[in-house]
Amino acid sequence: MSAITLQHLVKRFGAFTALKSMDLAIADGEFIALLGPSGCGKSTTMNIIAGMETPSEGRILFGERDMAGVPMGRRGVGFVFQNYAIFTHMSVRRNLDYGLRMTGRPAKEIARRTSAMAELLGLTDLLDRPAQGLSVNILQRLAIGRSAVMEPAIFLLDEPLSNVDAAFRAVMRTELKSLQRQFKQTMVYVTHDQLEAMTMADRIAVMDHGVLQQVGTPLEVYNTPANTFVARFIGSPGMNLFTGTLTTTSAGLAVDLGPLGISPPLALAQAAAAQQAKGAVIYGFRPEEVGLAPPSEPAFDLPLSLTERIGARTILHLGTPQAEVRAVFQSGTAIPEGLLRLAPAPAAVRLFDAGTGTALLVA
Amino acid sequence: MTLTDTQPLIPIKRAKDEGARLGFRLTLPAQLLVLFIAVFPLLMQLYISLTDWSPLSGASWPQAWQFWNSFANYSEMIADKRLWSALGRTLFIIAICVPIEFLLGLGLATLFVDDFPGKRVAYSILIAPMMVVPAVAGYMFFMLFQSGGPVNDILSWFTLDPVAIAWLSDRHLALVAVMVTDIWQWTPLMFLILLAGLVGVPADQLKAAALLGASPWQRFRTIVIPRMKTIIIIALAIRVIECFKIFDTLFIMTGGGPGVATETISVYIYKVTTNDLIWGYVAAIALAILIVLSIGAVWAMKRLAR
Repeated sequence: MSAITLQHLVKRFGAFTALKSMDLAIADGEFIALLGPSGCGKSTTMNIIAGMETPSEGRILFGERDMAGVPMGRRGVGFVFQNYAIFTHMSVRRNLDYGLRMTGRPAKEIARRTSAMAELLGLTDLLDRPAQGLSVNILQRLAIGRSAVMEPAIFLLDEPLSNVDAAFRAVMRTELKSLQRQFKQTMVYVTHDQLEAMTMADRIAVMDHGVLQQVGTPLEVYNTPANTFVARFIGSPGMNLFTGTLTTTSAGLAVDLGPLGISPPLALAQAAAAQQAKGAVIYGFRPEEVGLAPPSEPAFDLPLSLTERIGARTILHLGTPQAEVRAVFQSGTAIPEGLLRLAPAPAAVRLFDAGTGTALLVA
Repeated sequence: MTLTDTQPLIPIKRAKDEGARLGFRLTLPAQLLVLFIAVFPLLMQLYISLTDWSPLSGASWPQAWQFWNSFANYSEMIADKRLWSALGRTLFIIAICVPIEFLLGLGLATLFVDDFPGKRVAYSILIAPMMVVPAVAGYMFFMLFQSGGPVNDILSWFTLDPVAIAWLSDRHLALVAVMVTDIWQWTPLMFLILLAGLVGVPADQLKAAALLGASPWQRFRTIVIPRMKTIIIIALAIRVIECFKIFDTLFIMTGGGPGVATETISVYIYKVTTNDLIWGYVAAIALAILIVLSIGAVWAMKRLAR
């Protein structure tokens, strides 16, 4: 009953189209992250699922049931707001049992379910404290508990960690994930932070400009991005992408990347995929998949322009500003002076159609 | 430069005291003036209230001691039936007008939280009565409530018979007319204050409450009202205090009449002051009201604020 199906969902605000025909099937009990930059339509999608907005076109199904016309209080949806929207004029207990009281449950049931939820979230000692002035992690747990006590089939979380500082975010991510395992509900999690999406979600739905770009497991999205947007957006730093033309060298098919020179020959799978390209292609590889190549092997010769050392990893900025290549190495790696000979692992190379930006995959 | 140059001429703590004392000396004249303005009339009033002095007595007010009558004015007040019925009438007007103004204002404010076409025009029209000078408002309603006036004309459309009610010369209807005027003029103030409060209620909390299954009325009761409590108290306090002093509109419409049917505290004091010229007694009444109203207001605000 708690699977969610979005069919051809469109949302327009006046002349602005926030959502252009979105189709998405979310399985029962799945933790899905809607990931994308600001204004990509992820919050709009979430608000439509919650019933706070009505779609201009399209349908939402919970299980088999069409949700058109069902008011937000009747959808069985738990919603955690970005700012938690805790009722600060009430005590923790009054916040926690608010939904139960408003829907007129018997007093005994209210007391039982409230104390069970408080126990689960470690809020028992705070129940009679005013909700005003509690710390952020308690507010977050309270916001989740306030929705969870209603036992919703679906949980929606709208960037719940964006108000939290970086160190604390890591703690909260683990906490949220373990809470989801306990509740076993379908969770839709909106975020612009790929780290949150990657670490918590079963599947990630990447969105941009109101269009769903790709849906897949975190590793699928990372390893086989459906298009150049996903390739660039996922990963830190994102994928290196350069436009070039296919060319045949003595060692096999390669890509002529203009100022960067000719790429090392493509591996068999990539070469097969490249056959689908009608003209120019985009040659991409992850910064993490780059290695120093010995002089005998084909590689890019690149001048080093900037070195960023961030603890365990070192990010190198190479090449020219027009064609900048980023490479990530372990901090221990010895980086030679002057021109670097770098080559991406052949299997890690991804090709995209230069016209449409979609990935060229082996059929 | 020698070492001694770097040391302050006066130790720092003393310098601070010096500064504070200089500040006090500089502001002393202004402070005395403020004190004089605030306290002097009160003391003068207290002094006169203990005498039988009147401007017609031939003595100027500092010589009022010649008419000293101890607390006779205050004991006379307790037996003054006209005073007590004026007080009762004033409280009655407050008890009817302020709740109606509050409910109307709150209802209108609720409508104005959401956008609708023509909202800005409607808003301007709605707050216009507040801008009308009370004396003018009184004169407007004096004319509206004439027996051949528009109010009766409109009523006759509904009854289909010519209506010729003499609003302002009927003991009960005159009071109704006065209260209608007060509600017309002061509902906008309630509306303005309460709208400010409503806009300040966080939208996310209302959405959260709706998602948890709260009905609109439950949301209003559990989120909106508690969030607006302070502003509601302020709005009610302003209106109760203002309504207690109701004078200008009422005086122009009925002059307190017919008879004493619409005579409020302010009108009564005005009459005793200008017609009867018993200023010692007036001072006593005014002082008593000031004390009672102050105590009452502080008590009510403290109680409501809990």
